[in-house]
Amino acid sequence: MAEQPLHEHTLGNGLRVVVCEDHVVPLAAVNIWYGVGSRHERASRTGLAHLFEHLMFQGSANVAEGEHAALLESAGATFNASTSFERTNYYETVPVSHLELALWLEADRMGTLPAALTQANLDNQRDVVKNERRQRYDNQPYGTAFERLCALTFPQGHPYAHTPIGSMEDLDATTLEDCTDFFATWYAPGNAVLSIVGDVDAAKTIALVERYFGGLQLGPEQPAARNGDLGPLPGITAEAVDEDVPSPAYFAMFPLPTDGGNDIEAAELAVEILGGGSGSRLYDRMVRREQIATEIWAGVTRLAGGPSLAIVDAVGPDTEKIAAVLDEELARFAADGPDADETARATAQAERGFFEQTETVTGLANALSQNATQFGDPARVFTAPKRAAAVTADEITEMAGRWLAPGARTVLTYGGAK
Amino acid sequence: MSTPTLQPRPVPGPVPAWAFPSGTEGQVAGGPGTLRVDLPGRRLAAVRLVLDAGASREPGAKDGVATMTARTLLEGTEPGGGTALTAAFERIGASLYASADLTALRIALDVPVTRLNDALELFAAVLRGPALADSDVRRLVNERLEEIAQEDADPGTRAMRELRAVMFPGEARSSRPTGGTKESIAAIEGADVRAFYASAAPAEATAVVAGDLAGTAADQALAAALEGWTATGEALAAPDTIAPTTGPRIVVVDRPGSVQTYLSIAHGVPNRSHPDWPKLMVASHVLGGGLTSRLNSVLREEKGYTYGVRAGLLRLRHCGLFITQGAVHTEVTADAVADALTELRSVQARGISEEEHGSSVRALADRAPAEYETARAVAAELADASASGLGPEYPRRYLEAVRASTPDGVAKAYTDNIDPEKLTVIAVGDAEQIREPLEKLGYAPVTVTAKD
Repeated sequence: MAEQPLHEHTLGNGLRVVVCEDHVVPLAAVNIWYGVGSRHERASRTGLAHLFEHLMFQGSANVAEGEHAALLESAGATFNASTSFERTNYYETVPVSHLELALWLEADRMGTLPAALTQANLDNQRDVVKNERRQRYDNQPYGTAFERLCALTFPQGHPYAHTPIGSMEDLDATTLEDCTDFFATWYAPGNAVLSIVGDVDAAKTIALVERYFGGLQLGPEQPAARNGDLGPLPGITAEAVDEDVPSPAYFAMFPLPTDGGNDIEAAELAVEILGGGSGSRLYDRMVRREQIATEIWAGVTRLAGGPSLAIVDAVGPDTEKIAAVLDEELARFAADGPDADETARATAQAERGFFEQTETVTGLANALSQNATQFGDPARVFTAPKRAAAVTADEITEMAGRWLAPGARTVLTYGGAK
Repeated sequence: MSTPTLQPRPVPGPVPAWAFPSGTEGQVAGGPGTLRVDLPGRRLAAVRLVLDAGASREPGAKDGVATMTARTLLEGTEPGGGTALTAAFERIGASLYASADLTALRIALDVPVTRLNDALELFAAVLRGPALADSDVRRLVNERLEEIAQEDADPGTRAMRELRAVMFPGEARSSRPTGGTKESIAAIEGADVRAFYASAAPAEATAVVAGDLAGTAADQALAAALEGWTATGEALAAPDTIAPTTGPRIVVVDRPGSVQTYLSIAHGVPNRSHPDWPKLMVASHVLGGGLTSRLNSVLREEKGYTYGVRAGLLRLRHCGLFITQGAVHTEVTADAVADALTELRSVQARGISEEEHGSSVRALADRAPAEYETARAVAAELADASASGLGPEYPRRYLEAVRASTPDGVAKAYTDNIDPEKLTVIAVGDAEQIREPLEKLGYAPVTVTAKD
C-alpha cells in the first residue's frame, strides 16, 4: 500500500492507539505490542515472558479455554504471537466484519487474564513450550547457535545474555504466582501499543477502541528496564561446540549500534554489502571464487534497548580458513569502504525490503506498533527507505571500522559429523 | 487490582465478499501463455514463470537435474560472470529466484512496479541465453551435496524423504528426492544441465505478471520478453504419474539421541482436478488445521506432547498426499501415534459436526483475502494452477467448492479416499527408545532404517 495518514490517540488508561486506513482488501489487522520481553525477566525465570505469551491463549474472564483460537479460526483470521528480547507481540488479521470481536478478545485478556489462569493450563503450556524448545533449537543441527552466541557476547546476567525461549530448568521452576506477578507488572494498557490497519474508518475505529479498552484500569508503572548497553567487543571470544552436525560450520556475532539513529542505518548497509546475498563480498569470495564455503549468510537483528546484532555464518570444511578470510575482508572493508555501486545496490534492496515489510496490513500494523513502542513515532516506519538512502559511503566505512573490525567478535565453531 | 469495566461480546456481521483476482490471458506466438493480473495498491510486482520441466520429467539417472538447472540459471549469461547478474537485479531493487519441484521449473522475479520493464529485460536475457557453464555447475553440485547432508539432518525434511521413498514404488520419480541423491547429483555435469534446459519447452510454459499495473503496458513488456524464445532440444519424457501405495506400515528412521520424534503419517488421495479435493481440504482442517482441530486439541492442548501438529494435503500434479505431521517428545512417541491414529479414525467413527465444518470452511475460505494479499502470492497461485493444468479460474472455483461443501459430503470424501487402517507412519527419532513402544501399538510391522 502507499503511505497513508496515521491517526493516533491515547486512552485515559495510557493505551496508545494507531490507526491507518487501507481500503485495498476487506481486512483489519489488529496488532498489540506490550513493552515486555526476555530482557525484563529476572534471573532463574528465563523464558517467562514467552511462556506467559502462551498463557494468553488459554482464556480470560469472559473467554473460555480454547475459545480465543476457536473464535478467530472460525472467522478466517490469521493470528499468532511472538516474544523477543524487548517486546511481546499479539496479532490477528480478520475480515473487517470481525474487527470488534478481535478488539473485544484483546481487551478481555489485557484486562482479566489471571481470572482464567490455572495450574493445569500452566503445566500444559509449559510442556508445549518445552516441546517448542526441543523442536526449534535442541533437536535441530546448529539449533542452539544463537543462544550460545548471545551467552558468549554478553556478560553473565546482562539482560540480553539469554534468549526468549529460556532454559528447561527455569521453565520447570516457574510457578502460578510468577505468572500472576508477571501479568500485574507488565500487562497494563499503559505498557501497550495497539495498531489497526485495514478497511476501516479511523474515527469510528478509535471510538471502538475507547469502547472496548476504555474500561481497563491504568495499572502500576512498570519498573525501569536494566541497562542493556554493550559496545564493540574488545577481542575474539570463541567456543567450539561439541555436537553432531552434518558439516563443520563457523558462526560469528558482532554487536552493532542501537536502533534509532543514523549509525545503525550505516552499519546495517555495511553488513548487507559484506554478506547479504549472493552478490555480496563474502559470498563472492568464499563461495563463488575460493570455494572454501558452500553457503554463507549474514543478517542484522535491530534492537532498541541494547546493541543491534549482526550474525555471519558459513558452512565449510576448514573453519580456520573461513575465519582468516573473514578477517581479511573486514580489514579491507574498514580500510577502503564500499564502492558507489555497492552502496546503491544495498540502498535499492533496503527499499524493496521496506515494501515487503509494509505491503500487507499485517506487516504494516506490526511496523507501526514497533515504531510507536520503541521510538514514540509510528510514522517513522515510512522513512526507512529515505534513512537508508541518506547514508554515505564514508559513514558505512566508519561504522564498519568501529563495529565490524577484524579480531573483535564472538565465534562458534562446529566440527562436523562424528 | 480493581475490576475493569468490560463490554459484552460483540456479534460480528457477515464477512465482506471477496473473490480471487482474475487476470487477462494472452499468448505469445509459439511461446508461453501469459496472464496479467491488476492488483491496485501493490507496489511490488511479481512475475512467475512455470515451465513444464519439473523433476517428474527428468531423464533416467539424472535425478536432480531440474534443480541444478534452476540454480545454474541464476549464475547469469556469461561464463564466469560472477556477481554480475545478481548485481544487475539488485541495482533496480529486484530479485530473481528459480527452483524446481516434481511438477515444474519455476522462475520468480520480484521488483517495484516502477522498474518492471528494466527487470523484464534482464529476465529475458537470462531465459534466452543462460551461460549454464561447466564451472558453475561443478561448484553448484558441491553446494547441493552439502545441502543434501543438511536436509538429511533436519528431522522434518528427512521424514518427507522417507515418506516418499516408502509410499511410491521405486520406479516412480516421486519416490526419490526432488533435488536428487548424493549419487545422482555427484554425476551431473554442465552438459546435462544444458540439455535439460534446451528441452524445456517455452510453448508449454505460462508467465503471470501481477501488481499495481494500471497505466503500464506490463503484458506487452512480458510478451516482448518471451517472444522468439524457443526450445532447441528434444522433448522431455512424459511425466511420472505412478500412484502412491497404501500401508499399514511404520518406518523408524534412526536418529540416535534425538530428544523428539518427528512423525509423518500419510495416505494417497486424488489430485486437485478431482471434486473431492476441496472437501478433503476441509476434512484436513477439521483434523489438523489449527489449534482447535481434533489433533491439536488432544496432542497439544490436552496432553502437551507437541508444540503442534498439522494435517494437510501435499499437491503433486498427478495425485495428492494427505499428511499429518509434527514433532513429539521422544518418551511419548507411541502414545502420540496412538492418539493421532484415534483422531484420524474419528471421521469414520463419528463424522463431522455442523460446527466443525462451518468453522473449517470459514477458516479456509475467509482467510483467502489475507493469504492472497500480495502480488507474489496471487501470481504464484495462478502460475501453480497453470503448471498443474487447472487453468486460471481454478483458485476461484476451489474457494467456491469449499464454501459449497457440506459436513456429510466432507466426511464421505474422507472415508471414500482415506483408509485409517492403511496409513504409512514415518517416525524420525531414536530407534532404541521408540521402536518397541511402536511395535506394541500393534498397528503395523515396524522397520528401522538408517538416517543416511
